[in-house]
Amino acid sequence: MLRKKFGIALIVLMAALSVLPVSAQEPVIIRWLVGLGTGVNPPQVPPQEQIVADFNASRSDIQIEVQFVETGASIDTLSTLIASGNAPDIVGPVGVQGSQAFADAYLDLTPLIESSGFDLSQYNPEAVDFYRVEGEGLLGLPYAVYPSFIGYNADLFDEAGLNYPPDAFGAPYVMPDGTEVEWNFDTLAEIGRMLTVDANGYAANEPEFDPTAIVQYGYSPQFASAQGIGTLFGAGTVVAEDGSAQIPDSWREAFAWVHDGIFGEQPFIPSEPVTATDEWGTGNPFSTGKIAMMNMHVWYITCCLGEVVKNWDTGAMPTYNGTITAKLHADNFRILETTEHPEEAFEVLQYLTIERGAELLQVYGGMPALAADQPAFFDVFTEAYPNINQELITDALSYVDVPSHEGNMPNFAESNARLDQFSSLFRSTPDLDLDEALATLQSDLQAIFDRAAES
Amino acid sequence: MTATAKSNDLRVGNTSTTKNYDLRRRRILWGWLFLSPWIVGFFLFYFIPMISSLVFSFTNFDLSRPNEIEFVGLRNWGSLFADPNVGASLLNTLKYGLVALPLSVIIPILIATLLNDKRLWGKQLVRTLFYLPFMVPTVASAFIWAGYLNPETGWLNRFFSTIGITLPNWMYDPQAIYFGLFFISLWGIGNSILIMIAGMQTVPSELYEAARVDGAPPLTIFRRITLPMISPVIFYNVVLTTIALFRFFDAPFMLKGSTGNPAGSTLFYNIYVYRVAFPQQSMGYGSTLAWLLFVIALIVTIAIFLVARRFVYYANEEN
Amino acid sequence: MATKKNTAIAVPAPSENTQTSTVLFHHARRYTAGAILTLFALLLLLVYLSPFGYMGVTALKSNEQIISGSLLPASPQQFEYQGELYDVVNVPTENGIQQWALVEPGRTTSQFIDPANPSAGLIEWEGRWRGLERVSSLDLQWNNFAIAFERVKFPRMLFNTAAIAVIGVVGTLISCTLVAYGFARFPIPGKNVLFIILISTIILPRQVTLVPTYAFFAALGWTGTWLPLLIPHFFANAYNVFLLRQYFMTLPRELDEAAMIDGANPFQILLRVIIPQAYPVLVAVGLFHFVFAWNDYFEPLLYLINAPELQPISVGIQQFNDLYTREPALLQATSIMALVPPVILFLLSQKVFMRGVVVTGVDK
Repeated sequence: MLRKKFGIALIVLMAALSVLPVSAQEPVIIRWLVGLGTGVNPPQVPPQEQIVADFNASRSDIQIEVQFVETGASIDTLSTLIASGNAPDIVGPVGVQGSQAFADAYLDLTPLIESSGFDLSQYNPEAVDFYRVEGEGLLGLPYAVYPSFIGYNADLFDEAGLNYPPDAFGAPYVMPDGTEVEWNFDTLAEIGRMLTVDANGYAANEPEFDPTAIVQYGYSPQFASAQGIGTLFGAGTVVAEDGSAQIPDSWREAFAWVHDGIFGEQPFIPSEPVTATDEWGTGNPFSTGKIAMMNMHVWYITCCLGEVVKNWDTGAMPTYNGTITAKLHADNFRILETTEHPEEAFEVLQYLTIERGAELLQVYGGMPALAADQPAFFDVFTEAYPNINQELITDALSYVDVPSHEGNMPNFAESNARLDQFSSLFRSTPDLDLDEALATLQSDLQAIFDRAAES
Repeated sequence: MTATAKSNDLRVGNTSTTKNYDLRRRRILWGWLFLSPWIVGFFLFYFIPMISSLVFSFTNFDLSRPNEIEFVGLRNWGSLFADPNVGASLLNTLKYGLVALPLSVIIPILIATLLNDKRLWGKQLVRTLFYLPFMVPTVASAFIWAGYLNPETGWLNRFFSTIGITLPNWMYDPQAIYFGLFFISLWGIGNSILIMIAGMQTVPSELYEAARVDGAPPLTIFRRITLPMISPVIFYNVVLTTIALFRFFDAPFMLKGSTGNPAGSTLFYNIYVYRVAFPQQSMGYGSTLAWLLFVIALIVTIAIFLVARRFVYYANEEN
Repeated sequence: MATKKNTAIAVPAPSENTQTSTVLFHHARRYTAGAILTLFALLLLLVYLSPFGYMGVTALKSNEQIISGSLLPASPQQFEYQGELYDVVNVPTENGIQQWALVEPGRTTSQFIDPANPSAGLIEWEGRWRGLERVSSLDLQWNNFAIAFERVKFPRMLFNTAAIAVIGVVGTLISCTLVAYGFARFPIPGKNVLFIILISTIILPRQVTLVPTYAFFAALGWTGTWLPLLIPHFFANAYNVFLLRQYFMTLPRELDEAAMIDGANPFQILLRVIIPQAYPVLVAVGLFHFVFAWNDYFEPLLYLINAPELQPISVGIQQFNDLYTREPALLQATSIMALVPPVILFLLSQKVFMRGVVVTGVDK
């Protein structure tokens, strides 16, 4: 009886949807949605529109329609569009986390690659495998990678009379008195304290320091999720080999280090309430010029630096227990499974990522995944940003986090939400029993994993 | 009042029964005519979506895989009991509602009385100013409040700290955030105030004059004349505020997204519905949650309607 | 009979003998009462509207001013030296407070230049520069409004928003009045059940009806147009019907019946008897819908995603709210600009409010 009602409802809905008009004579319209990742900042929009306009002028059989949706609303909007049968054909650039949100919505490119004779061998096989999902096929082509490093504000270092962070991975750091020390997180904390200043000019390591009147901080792990922060001290995942929930040891240390850095005796990291204020950049404190160091990905350079920071530069990630981890973001373009024109969509995909891919990479601030393309990328990129250290950024690719800090988890959306809650908790609560909070986190995650296993 | 009785009188024995019956039938037909826009609109815009979502609650409808939808019977409904977030979010909503409902009904009445007073100067301007916050777009007001209530640099806490009082951490303390949210909702009472004023202005002036002649004190006038005469409008406010509280979403979402921070205290029921339906893409289970809310809220609303019969006075009904 | 208490009600009873001094006394009473009430109202408003101060101040700040954390939009005085601008600061020296430009800040010593004597070169000063006060003056960034105006393409968006709002108001007023009249005055069987159904349409969270509703409009081909935002309002909505019904039910039936006896049909009664008595609430309903349509955000975003030239202000303003690069000043500036039409409308509608004060027609 219920089945019948359901069937009828479904038929009604399907009948309604099948009324969609289909025209054969007009050009195929491929809709491209930007907003799941970067690409919607005002300076980024015109170049993308120009690339679309060029394509549309040169072709009469296919036309691209580009839509920009603010990142905050993009997931909801895309969900509604997909669910109601009105989805775009291509989304991009989209990162690992953005694609997790729509894990089963992407088109397997394998048949298209075979039928169009696309040359897959030009890519590094590991990079390609990164986008292969068991049971689903090849969901995207390697496109852009965003290695990370320490971004620092040179002016603040000058004012403090400190040397800049080392410009090569593994190099030592030179303290003000000339001694060489290992560039690890303890060192970073030490100089972070010297770079944290109150309204009267006293640093955090001086006795007259007033923690209620801080006007500059030494370090900010901004934009990093809980997993991102944990990964600073070593790659890991909350999903153990047997599928149960775990908190990697390196992550525990990282959380404790950050919490102490915020609320300890000599703070050098701003808390979440502070970074949420307009005064501190509404979530982007480095752009206010009042933060000395942050962990920066390449995409930050083209989107979020702002006008205030004049002398910024790139430095190496510190080690932890002898290991360096420079977490990686990776973007690509994907075709949605619901597309009605897969061949045309694949053509547009190639146009965007290969023919015009290099230009778009400059817009998004992404390094090409293809090693062969990287020198050409830097030739152009360093024209706009002469101060970056090309070798350092390329080197960072050798220290990427495996498993990825954005890696899959059972019931990804809910697990991620729970981890976000933890991230906010330990960055805004002074008297926190970290062990207890972590224990609760682990058991909550376990419950989420269990529920995911049942369904 | 006796004139009313005749046209609606259907008692057997009335000499003009047939005529009255015809009259009544005609009035009923007219009534249907007037209701028709809504009835048509209901079937076009509400019925199908509502039934669809009810149907979804019996499926595993996943937003990103709409074509793989499957019928799963009562599984979602069973999950309701095993899901700790359901109880927790209902509790949060209840906690907030217990504080917000009485205040959201009483405060507008008080302010409306003030603004309706004949002796007030610049009524037009004052009323506009009270209504002003209601007209601010949600995204802007969320920013304003996030800035205003920020424990470090917000005006509220900064002002009070200059006179030596430390106010709670509105945005990050699980208990204080309810009050923070309530301040934000106070900004939206412009609507209720206006409705109250409109209602107060329909109270026949001769009732007030008669009371003054009798020398009744203002409090008694308020209690015996104003309140009962505007009770239909108060009733409106109570019903809508209750429903709005069940659907509480905009303010906490703008401030904290669907995270429920701090520590799950802003995970109100509707925020949880949103989180299940969109970020987690489980529209099937999300629809189930929504319909549970529907049932609860409907029961409460009907209860209010039944209680209201005793208290609401409509001028055109017989006492 | 209750004694005549000397309370705030100061109008003398008609039967009393009114002598000049008593009248003056009562007028004075009334005057002070009015003054006190107004003062109280203004005090309340001051607290109630204080967040607007934050809004206004933020809208007039530049990015640097926001970062500096100063309460008001104030910029430091600057001095150009060798092609760069440096802030001027009050520096305490042995010769009193000097106003020098800070060229090279250092932790314990800093280099300054004297704007009055730049050729003398850099002056070294011992001390912590951060405690020094910048010489700043009020610097309101009125051009934030111009920038926001340009970025949001304000004229176009204003037109879009106004069109959507006004058409919606017309539709709502017509349909909701008709439906509320039906509920309020006619003995329809099962009326209460229908009314509950009406109310129930606003209980179900929008999130779950969004997808089927969107699919419906997409099937009709209405995405990318204003139609999904306008047409439903021509079929009444529960909020306004509820309010109007409550209101209509407070109106005494005598006038209705008088008109009926004169041979008017229900429609004419609606036009000539009910509506004239209902101006305040009709204006209220129109205003509510206008404000709602003015600020509605998610549905316009969804339906007009590929039609940017049709988008209302509430969607356009989102570009300042991106996750990574927020621009608080421009956001608030746009909001202020967006507030102007509803406020003007509200001020104008007040007159109708006043005029619509009910005079009950039944003087027996």
